[in-house]
Amino acid sequence: MPEFSPWHDNSFTYSPPNNEPAPTQRISEDPEFHSLRRAQRRFGVRATVLSVGGFLLYVLLSHSVPGLMNQRLVGHLTLGLALGLGQFLVMAVTSWCYVRHMRSRVDPLARGLGSRLDQHEAHSLRTAASRADAGQTVPPGSRGYRTW
Amino acid sequence: MVTVSEGIVDRFSLNLTFVLFLSVVVVTLFMALLTAPQRDELSEFYLGNRTMSPLRNGLAMCGDYLSAATLLGSTGLVALNGYDGLLYLGGTVVAWMMVLLLIAEPLRRAGRFTLGDTLALRLTGLQRPARLALAVCTLVITTLYLVAQLVGSMALLTQFTGEPSAATRTLCVVVIGTIVIVYAAIGGAPGATVIQIIKAVMLVAGVTVTAVMVLHHYDWNPDALLSAAANNSGTGTQFLEPGLRYGVSTTSKLDFFSLELAIVLGLAALPHVLMRLLAPRKIDVLRSSVVWAVGLVGLVCLAAGVLGLGATAVVGRETIAETDHKGDSAVLLLANALGGGILTALLSCLAFVTLLAVAAGLVLAAATSLAHDLYGEVIRKGRASETEELTVARLSAAVIGILAMMLALVSWGANTATLAFLAFAIAASAILPTIVYTLFWRRFTGEGALLSLWGGLICSVLLVLFSPVVSSAPGSFYPGSDFAWFPLQNPGIVSIPAGFLLGWLGSVLSSRQEPQEEAAYEEFEVRMLVGAKE
Repeated sequence: MPEFSPWHDNSFTYSPPNNEPAPTQRISEDPEFHSLRRAQRRFGVRATVLSVGGFLLYVLLSHSVPGLMNQRLVGHLTLGLALGLGQFLVMAVTSWCYVRHMRSRVDPLARGLGSRLDQHEAHSLRTAASRADAGQTVPPGSRGYRTW
Repeated sequence: MVTVSEGIVDRFSLNLTFVLFLSVVVVTLFMALLTAPQRDELSEFYLGNRTMSPLRNGLAMCGDYLSAATLLGSTGLVALNGYDGLLYLGGTVVAWMMVLLLIAEPLRRAGRFTLGDTLALRLTGLQRPARLALAVCTLVITTLYLVAQLVGSMALLTQFTGEPSAATRTLCVVVIGTIVIVYAAIGGAPGATVIQIIKAVMLVAGVTVTAVMVLHHYDWNPDALLSAAANNSGTGTQFLEPGLRYGVSTTSKLDFFSLELAIVLGLAALPHVLMRLLAPRKIDVLRSSVVWAVGLVGLVCLAAGVLGLGATAVVGRETIAETDHKGDSAVLLLANALGGGILTALLSCLAFVTLLAVAAGLVLAAATSLAHDLYGEVIRKGRASETEELTVARLSAAVIGILAMMLALVSWGANTATLAFLAFAIAASAILPTIVYTLFWRRFTGEGALLSLWGGLICSVLLVLFSPVVSSAPGSFYPGSDFAWFPLQNPGIVSIPAGFLLGWLGSVLSSRQEPQEEAAYEEFEVRMLVGAKE
């Protein structure tokens, strides 16, 4: 077990310890990994700035230029109240865009990289298992290989 | 301070509320016992059923997040302050956007039970001190929030019986506290989830139906509702314009912005909400769950806005302010006017169940942090067996519950909203910088984590101690003396940037990037973006 691993030995949630840091390092240098990171982070930051920043700006505007916000649109509905309702619309649209973006741009990349990580791990486990007594760390077959 | 001379509801609805509340509690307790973890398995106790559907997860998140403060307090704010209250409701929803867009998925991929686990993956050194700091912050936040819920239960009781005697107050807190401890200590996460989901369904249904009744009362004409609210507010159209409460001076405007900042940024760092984010096993289930939560919270907040405006329109601002100057009674007064005793009883039962559910989630989060971070990793240095840790978790749930009960009895009369907002501010200034830096900043170090955790906590607590919340203002803890040199009620606007700054400073000053640390970060990043197999 690598020294920096925080889990104690009865940790069952994570995959068995991998003695060589090679696969993750190789994946983290992969251009596909970089584009995955970019795709996820750029959208997340932009959408957050738009929705959260937009709301905070709306709060600031409400108290700094009340004259503008108090303009009547229809009946008792002022510009400020309409913008407040608009926030809910912005949030709905942002969530929808986020889910669509993640499904089309990010998930396929993550799946691809994930299965490569699996393959590599399975490979290194196999070699490790053949080096030591077979079937000690992982019973064969309990860790399914991706069929494709 | 609750100043009600007489209960606002009659004997009939008091009895009905009691019967309803009792049946909900009995049913949920049975369900919590049935679904309680059968084997001594940590993951099940901490996270519950990890294969729930997105809708159920979303309901549980919504249930964990929306407390009685939203149901009674926010609607009261809208009823008393109109536009300013509506802004506050908006912030409650917008907070979820940050969780959805930035925090949820990376945190789930790189997380296990607590935030300490995620942090430990990244930090090679100073892992135990960081866990200790996180556990202390979690404990402070959850205790404050718990005390707010328990004090809220006493305040709610006041609506029925008038100013309760000391014995009644003690009885109320002890009963609610004990039920909460049973949920958390015996039921664990599965038990807490059951009551969370039941409560969320009740909340969404109850609030929506009442909002529909309000709209129906005004023939589905929102303009009629707005004009009636403006007319009965005693302030005319000013009611629908910003500034009724917070527009008096620059200080109060800053104060309001500070509050909004804490609400919007604090949610993503509340320990019990973070634990919910870690529960779903699959990433796409988590994503749909958070989307459900955004939708449900949005619906409840929209309906709460209608309820608040409706309360002013139907009952009148004067009456609401006379009954309870914080406005907490607005919803119950509205229910009494629209649906008589039965609707009042239904909504009061809803408020009690809401209190109970949020408190159960909080106790569970605090117990997890204590048992897993403090006992398992700091005291036993990772050598504790699962059974041992589980026992400690159950015991700490009981200890935290009892501690909160005692604190609640002592702080009777404290403003529940203030306590809750302080919890939000601490979460946003101590825990949020650590989450953001851990997930997104390569050069973040253990020193940075320690500095931002302790610094953010101390900064926000100190600022509150020297604010009008504690001294000088009427309604504060020491109205007689004056040591309030910090003019704002909410420390967020200063303490949140301070937390981020300290985290940055600590990391930059300690910049000894060892190759091991680099490797740890790279592995962490792969896990965060691609995910680890389980």
